[in-house]
Amino acid sequence: MSARTVLVTGANGGLGQAIARAFLAEQDTFVWLGVHVRQDAAAALIRDFPGRCECLVLDVTQASSWCQAVEQILARDHRLDVLVNNAGHHSDHLLATMPLSAWEEVLATNLHGAFHGCQAVLPTMISQRNGRIINLASLSALLAPPGQANYAAAKAGLVALTQSLAKEVARLNITVNAVCPGFVDTGALAAMNAEERKAAQAMIPMRRFGRPEEVAAAVRFLACPEASYITGSIIKIDGGIL
Amino acid sequence: MDDPTSLKERIKNLMVENLMLQVTAAEIADDQPLFGPGSLGLDSVDALQLVVALDKHFGLKIRDPEAAREILKNVNAMAVAVQQKLAA
Repeated sequence: MSARTVLVTGANGGLGQAIARAFLAEQDTFVWLGVHVRQDAAAALIRDFPGRCECLVLDVTQASSWCQAVEQILARDHRLDVLVNNAGHHSDHLLATMPLSAWEEVLATNLHGAFHGCQAVLPTMISQRNGRIINLASLSALLAPPGQANYAAAKAGLVALTQSLAKEVARLNITVNAVCPGFVDTGALAAMNAEERKAAQAMIPMRRFGRPEEVAAAVRFLACPEASYITGSIIKIDGGIL
Repeated sequence: MDDPTSLKERIKNLMVENLMLQVTAAEIADDQPLFGPGSLGLDSVDALQLVVALDKHFGLKIRDPEAAREILKNVNAMAVAVQQKLAA
């Protein structure tokens, strides 16, 4: 039996992979890889770390899917120590022409998904009197760039959710924190051409994009015993943009 | 099944332990209100913990806020709800 059980949502994406790998570097940790439609990268991780992680089919937008996922985790591990709400999705449009579906889908995945996740794991964490919740917000929550009204609103909502929930459960030994990555070199930036990448990097004081491992390190830190007095914090990981 | 008196004792001990109350189980009256004036002084986070504890220890699931208000009124009300659940 592992000493610690972690659930990472959006575990098939670049950031989710890096976060899962960071936790798998701890010998005594079992990582549940929350995946939805695509599972190829998560399956590769299971091959790399046999017996240390497992896929969990999870539609973060559905409360019933969360209930099933938590039941599956508890059936095997009888505990859940860390939830990383990483599943995210963006669909950029100017607000004047944004389809309602783009607004609703982005809010559903980025904000409602984290809400359902927190509700699903809290009874277990309250019962354990121990737990860590780490929400992947975004620098967009703080900068609100044009073309991202939906994504920025969802991530700003996630920041507020983090701070409010942190106060609610602080005395139960449950911490709730968020990280706000800026430009991170994952598949999400793949649509940029060389010129756009160069222009974006010029805006960053460090003059480079972040690496997924650099975000993962902050997430892992927030889940470690040394971070036990940090709650309601919003940590930006942006190379100095803000 | 517990008799009503020992069930109430279990509930009181569970409250003292889970909510880290600064009173002993013996000091909690069966009909003492849990919330509001003249009560034990519990708040909404205590209520959340009680809901989780009643589910964990007795399998009593309280999903409706209205039902929670009734059941978490005092130890008597919690004991009745638990007995009904155990008898079902």
